[in-house]
Amino acid sequence: MRVLWPILLLASVTVVSAQQPPPRPADPKLLSIHPFAGQAGTSFTVTVRGTGIKTATSVQSDLEASVEAVDQEAPPAPGSRRTPSDLVRLKITSAPDAKPGRHNLRLITPGGISNALPIHLTPHAVVSEPDGIHETPETAIPVPSLPTTFTGRITAKGESDFFVFEAHEGQTITFSAASGLPGIGSAGSNANGFDPSLALYELGGSWFDPARIRRVAFNDEPLWFFGRHQEPHLVHRFQKTGKYYLRLEAFSGQGGPDYSYRLDFFPRETQQDRPPADPSGERGFSRLLSTDRLNQLAERGGKPRDRKSVETYNPGPVQLPAIIEGAIAEPGQSQRAHFQIDGPRDIAIEIQTPSADPPLFNPVVRLLDSRGEEVATNILVGRGACTGAMSKSIQAKVIVPIRNPGAYTVEVRDLTADLGDPSFRYRLMIRQQIPHLGNIGIDEDHINLFPGDAKTTRVTFDREEDFRGAVAITVESLPPGVQALPSADYEPDKDAPLTAGKRERFNPRTERAVIAFTADPTAPPTTKPAMARVVVRPIVDGKPGAVAASKQIPIMVVPQP
Amino acid sequence: MKFLLPFLALPLLAAGLDSKMLSLKIYPSTVKLSGAGSTQQFLAIANYSDGVERDVTSETAWTLSHPNLGKLAGARLSALAGGSLNLTARFQGKQAISRVEITNAPPRPFQFGRDIGGILTKRGCNSAACHGGVKGRGGLKLSANALYPKDDYEWITKGGIYQVLTTQVAGDRVPRVNIAQPEKSLLLTKPTGVEAHGGGKRFDIDSEDYRVLLQWVKNGTPYGEEGMGGSGIVAFEVWPSIATLPVQGVRRLLVTARFADGHSEDYTHQVLYASNESDIASVNAEGLVTAHKLGETAILVRAAGQVASAVAGVIGPPIPGYPAVSPANFIDTQVFAKLRQFNLIPSELSEDGEFLRRVCLDLTGTLPPPARTREFLASTDPRKREKLIDTLLASPEYNDYWTFRFSDVFRVAIFANGLMPKWSTGYSEWIRNNIETNRPYDQVARERLSAQGYSPATRHFIPYNQIGTPPDTMAEEVRVFFGRRLDCAQCHNHPYENWSQDQFWGMAAFFGRMFKMGSIVVDHPVNMDWSSKDVDGKIELLHPRTKSAVHPMYLDGSAAQVAADANPRKELARWMTAHPYFAEAAVNRLWGYFFARGIVDPVDDFRSTNPPTHPELLATLASDFRGNGYNLRRLMKTITTSRAYQLSHRPNNTNRADLTNYSHSVARAVDAEVLLDAVADVTGVPETFATSVTGGASAIGQAPAGTRAIHLKDPDMYFSRFLELYGRPSRGAIPERSGKPNLAQALHMLAGATYVDRLGQPNSRLARMLESGATDDRIFEEFYLASLMRLPGADEKAELKQILGQRQDRTAGLREFIWALISSREFAENH
Repeated sequence: MRVLWPILLLASVTVVSAQQPPPRPADPKLLSIHPFAGQAGTSFTVTVRGTGIKTATSVQSDLEASVEAVDQEAPPAPGSRRTPSDLVRLKITSAPDAKPGRHNLRLITPGGISNALPIHLTPHAVVSEPDGIHETPETAIPVPSLPTTFTGRITAKGESDFFVFEAHEGQTITFSAASGLPGIGSAGSNANGFDPSLALYELGGSWFDPARIRRVAFNDEPLWFFGRHQEPHLVHRFQKTGKYYLRLEAFSGQGGPDYSYRLDFFPRETQQDRPPADPSGERGFSRLLSTDRLNQLAERGGKPRDRKSVETYNPGPVQLPAIIEGAIAEPGQSQRAHFQIDGPRDIAIEIQTPSADPPLFNPVVRLLDSRGEEVATNILVGRGACTGAMSKSIQAKVIVPIRNPGAYTVEVRDLTADLGDPSFRYRLMIRQQIPHLGNIGIDEDHINLFPGDAKTTRVTFDREEDFRGAVAITVESLPPGVQALPSADYEPDKDAPLTAGKRERFNPRTERAVIAFTADPTAPPTTKPAMARVVVRPIVDGKPGAVAASKQIPIMVVPQP
Repeated sequence: MKFLLPFLALPLLAAGLDSKMLSLKIYPSTVKLSGAGSTQQFLAIANYSDGVERDVTSETAWTLSHPNLGKLAGARLSALAGGSLNLTARFQGKQAISRVEITNAPPRPFQFGRDIGGILTKRGCNSAACHGGVKGRGGLKLSANALYPKDDYEWITKGGIYQVLTTQVAGDRVPRVNIAQPEKSLLLTKPTGVEAHGGGKRFDIDSEDYRVLLQWVKNGTPYGEEGMGGSGIVAFEVWPSIATLPVQGVRRLLVTARFADGHSEDYTHQVLYASNESDIASVNAEGLVTAHKLGETAILVRAAGQVASAVAGVIGPPIPGYPAVSPANFIDTQVFAKLRQFNLIPSELSEDGEFLRRVCLDLTGTLPPPARTREFLASTDPRKREKLIDTLLASPEYNDYWTFRFSDVFRVAIFANGLMPKWSTGYSEWIRNNIETNRPYDQVARERLSAQGYSPATRHFIPYNQIGTPPDTMAEEVRVFFGRRLDCAQCHNHPYENWSQDQFWGMAAFFGRMFKMGSIVVDHPVNMDWSSKDVDGKIELLHPRTKSAVHPMYLDGSAAQVAADANPRKELARWMTAHPYFAEAAVNRLWGYFFARGIVDPVDDFRSTNPPTHPELLATLASDFRGNGYNLRRLMKTITTSRAYQLSHRPNNTNRADLTNYSHSVARAVDAEVLLDAVADVTGVPETFATSVTGGASAIGQAPAGTRAIHLKDPDMYFSRFLELYGRPSRGAIPERSGKPNLAQALHMLAGATYVDRLGQPNSRLARMLESGATDDRIFEEFYLASLMRLPGADEKAELKQILGQRQDRTAGLREFIWALISSREFAENH
C-alpha cells in the first residue's frame, strides 16, 4: 500500500484545490481622510484613502455622510512595490447644532465595516489649501482673517507649506496644528507618522539675502513625552506690526498622500487641550481625585456608596482619609502633612498633578515614620534586565500596609533639587485601601464575521487593592446568528518580576478574559453594523455590582463570496 | 693668538656685525638668600642696538663686594654667612650690579618630597617613561614628578610592587634602601650603574646627588617635614618666559620656586629640563638652551610636584628698519610685540576681497553674493571692515553658523542625546536660542553643566538613553569648558601632568548622583532611599583603586560642600565658570576658529607640556572676556577687528615658515558643511538632504527646500556622501576636524554629484546667465566674485578666453570653467 500514498495525497490536494472558494473580500481599512476638518453646520467633501474600500456603500457616523464617488490611485511607477490605494469621496453634512470636535467615521462595504478615523468639526470657517506648491514665502497661502482653520497636505517628502498673514504690535496669536496620522512615538505610529512642526518668520532680510525671512519663533510641540500631544501649539505675542509667515512641515521631512493636516489660527492665546483623563484611570497623574473618590472606588468594588466625602487640607496636620493640596513653588521645596495611625491599616496614597505634570513636575512622595525613616515612596525601583543597573520611576499611586501605629508624615517634593513653580500643584489623597476593579481594557475596534467564523477579543482588568471578587463580562445587542462565548486563549509564561514581593505596591494584578464572537453558518448577512455592547461588572458577595466599564463594538456578518 | 679668534668672534657674530651693545643687566637685580648654603644663579643680559638682547652670562666677569659672605662658581652664588653684598657683572666695558642680602636663617629642615623627590625628578627617575609610568618600572613605582612623596617614601623604604587597580601590594617587599649598609642601597647602586639598571647611569658616585641620597640613608631614611601641603612649592617661574636667540645662540633659563609661605628660592639647578622640539633648540641639564634652527619650541621644566615651561624662539637675523605697524587693539599689541622679538615682519593687511571672504566664512559660514562683493570692493569708507563685522554679527547667518559650530562642540546627535531625534532637535534649539540672544557664555555653561529635569540641556547627559558614566561625563565637560583632558587620570595618576587619579574621581563624583528616572535627569539625594532598599541599591561612586566611595572634590583638591539632597553639579558649575581656566579655554577655542590654531593647540589640550604660544595674550583675552560678561559676539568682534586677524595670507621673506605667531593668515580647509553650501551658492543649485539613518539607503523624509548643510541639526539624521567624504564628524565624541584632503575627495570632485551634476542643472546660475545673454567676461567675473570674492586677473581672464575659445561647445566650456573654480584650492580653503 505504501506506494499508493503519494498518489492518494496528491489526489486529495487536487480535490481540495478544485473546491477552494473564491477569495474573501479584504477587511476594509481606512488610512487617511483629507481634509479631515470642516465647519460645523456646513457641507463639505472629503476623500478617504484606504484599502478594501472601493466597494463602500455607506458611512457610519453621527454626521450625515454619503459616498459620492469611488476611485483608485494611479498605478505606481514600474518597479515600485507600492499597491495603489482606493479613494472614496464622501459628502459630509453637519447639522447647524453639530458639536465641534472629533466625530468618528467608518465606511461600510460588502466586506464589512472599517476602522474609524476622525473628522474634526470646527466652529469657524475652514479654508482648503489652494492647489500648487507653497514652500516659499513667495508662494505662501494668505490667511484671510482670524480665527481660521486651514486644511492641507504635505504631499511629498521635504515639502512644507507657508502661510502669510498680518499681525499687530502687541497682538497674540495662537497657531495650532494637528495631523491626520499618529505622530512618531505615539501609539499606533511608525517611522512614517506625521508629526507636524511650526516655525514663525518675519520679513527682515539679511545682508546676504535681502529676501531672507527671519525665524522669530519655533515650536514643535510643548513636550515630547508619552501620552502627551504630539502636535505643535505655538503662542506668540508680536513685538511689531507687519507681515509674518508661518511654515508647517513634517518633523523628519516626511510627506505623502496621507500627510493631511489641520492648522488653526486663533487671534488670542489658547491653551492646548490636555489629553482627556480616563475617568476610571487609576495610574495617571491627571486623573481627578475628588472628594467622592471613596464612593467611586467602593462602587467599582461592588460595594454600596455609603462613604463620607474626603476632607481637603493644606500641608500640616490632617485626619485620614484626607486630600492634601499644595504646590512646590520654589526649587528644593518640600511640603509635609502629619497624621496619626491608631492601629494596623492598609492605606493607599494617590497623587494628582492638576496643572503641570510629568515630565515638568515630577512629584516624589515619601511616607516617613515617627523617626523620620522612609516607610514607602511612590518610586518604583527595579534592576534593568540587560545591565542589572538600578532603575526607578515615579508612580501616581502606592499602597502601603502599615502595621505599627503611631505618627506618620507624608512629604512631597519634586524629583529635582533645582526646579519649582507655582504650577507644580499637587493633590494627594491618603485613604484606607478599597478593593476594586481598576483599569479595564476591551480590545477590538470592529468585528467583521463570515458565517461560520469566529473571532476573539480580550478584556483585561486590574485588581486594585486586593480586589478578590469575580468579574462578569456580558455582551449585549449582538446581530442575529452571532454569539459571544466565554473562552480562553494561550497565554505564554512570564518571568517573575525582578522585584517580586515589592512590585504589587505599585502595580496591580492584571488578569484577562477572552470572548469568542461566533457567527453561525446560517447567520444572515447584515447590511448595517450592529452595535454590540461589552459590559464589565464586579461580582461581590454573590451580587453583580454597577457597570465598571463598557464599550460598543460594531459587528457585521459578511456574506460569503 | 690665532686660536683665540673664534672665541672672541662668537659674541660679535651672535650680536650681528653692525649692532652695538647698549646696556648690561643682571637678573635677578635684587635677591634675598636664606642663610648659609643657599644659592642663586644670575644671568647677564646685554641689550644691543638692533633691539635684540643676548645672554652673555658665560662671557661676563663676576665679582663680589664681600667675598667673605659668598662664593662664586661662574654666575652662581653660594651664601657663606649673613650680610649684604653687591654682585658686579662686567662685559665689554659695561657693568651691572645686583644687591644680595643673606639672612642668618637656620638651615632648612630636611623634606623627603623636596630633597629626595627633587633628585628623583631632576634625574628623570620618576618620569613617565621610567618609574613614574603607570605601573612604574623594574618593580619600583614612583609618582610622576614626586607629586605624592608619601607614596614614594613607602615604595622606596618598604618596597613591593604597585598595582593599578587595587591598593594591594604585589610581590615581596624588598626595600630600595639598606640601612645597615647604606652604600649597597638599590637606590644608589642602580642609578650609578654599580648594578644593572634599565634606565642606565643617572649620576656619578662623586656627585652631589649621590652624597645627599647616601646621607639620607645613613640618617635612617627620615621623611622629615611635609612639604607640598605646607610650606611647599606652589609655583615655578621661568625667566625669560619667552627666550629668543639666534641660530647657534645660547640662553640660560632662570627658575624660581615660589613657596606657600611667600618666600622664593632659586631652583635653576634642581630641575629637569626638556625641549619639546630639540631639533629647534635643545637644553642641557643646567638649563642652557642652544638654538639649532629657526622655529619655536617649549622648554619644559620639572621639579618635585611642579611642571612649568618657557618658550624658546630661534629667530632670524635682525631686520634693519623693521616696519612700524600700528595696532588696532590689544591683540595686535601683543602679537606684533612677539613678532618684533622674533624678527618676523607681519604680512601686509589683506586685500578687501580676501578679508571679505575670510570674515564671511568665519562669522557666518556663508559666501557673500557677487553684488555685495562688488559693493564692498567699491566702498571707500575707511570703517567699512568694522561696519561689515557688525553687520555679520547681527545677521541670521551668524546665528545659523554658530549654532552649527556649537552643535559640534556640544555634540548634537541622536546617539549622544538619548536616541531620540526630538531630543537632539530640542537640544539644538537650546543652542540656537543661546546664540541668537548672545547669552553670556558662563550662563550657558552653568545651565549645561547643572541641567536637571526634562530641559533640553539635560539631553546631552543621556547618550544612548542612559545616564553617561560619571568619568566620561566629567571628562567631557572639563574638556569643553576647561580645555583640559583629564582622561588619563581615570585609571592612574596622569603620567605627564599634575592630575591625580584622586582628583579625577573627586571631579567625577560631582556627576556621581546623576540618575535617569523615565526621561528625567535628576541628582539622587544621598540622604533618601527613594526605594533603593527594595533592590539593595546604593547611590555612590567608587574609586576604582581604593574601592571606597568618592566625594565631590574640585580639581584643585579642595572638597566641595554639597547638601545631601542638592544638585552637586550646580556647585561644580559655579566653581568652574569662576575659575580662570574657564575664560581661558573659551577664548582659546574661539581664537582657534579664527586663526586655524589655538594659542594653545589643540584648543582643548591645555597642559604644561603644551604651553601657549602667547601666554600674556591668552591671559588678556580671557580677562577681557570675563570683564565683559562672557560676551561671545564682543569677543569675536575684538578678534576680527584686530589687524592680526586681517593680515594677508601672502607671506613675506621673514614669515614664510611661521605657522604659530600669526604673522600672516594661514590657509585652512573649509569645513565640509560650509564647503557644500558654498558649492550650492556658487552654482546656484541647492543641495537636498534626505532624512535617513541608514546611509541614505532608505530615506524616510527630506529636509525642506532651502535647507543648508549648516542648518542640519543632527549628522545622524541626514546622510550625505559629500559630507562624509569631506570630514563631517559624527559627534560620537567631541569632534576634531582635520581638514586633510584625501583621495576620495579628489575622485568626488572628478565624478561626484556635488561637483558634476550641478553644472548642468537647468536653474543653475550659469543656465540663468546664459539665458540672459551674458558675455563670457560677465560670466567669468560673476563666478570669480561668487566663489573667490575677487575679479579675475587680466592674465587669468586671457587664459580663460583662450581655453574657452578652443572649445566647440561654449556651454560645456563654461561648465568646465566653473568646475575648475569650485575644485580649486583657493575655493576650498579659507585664507
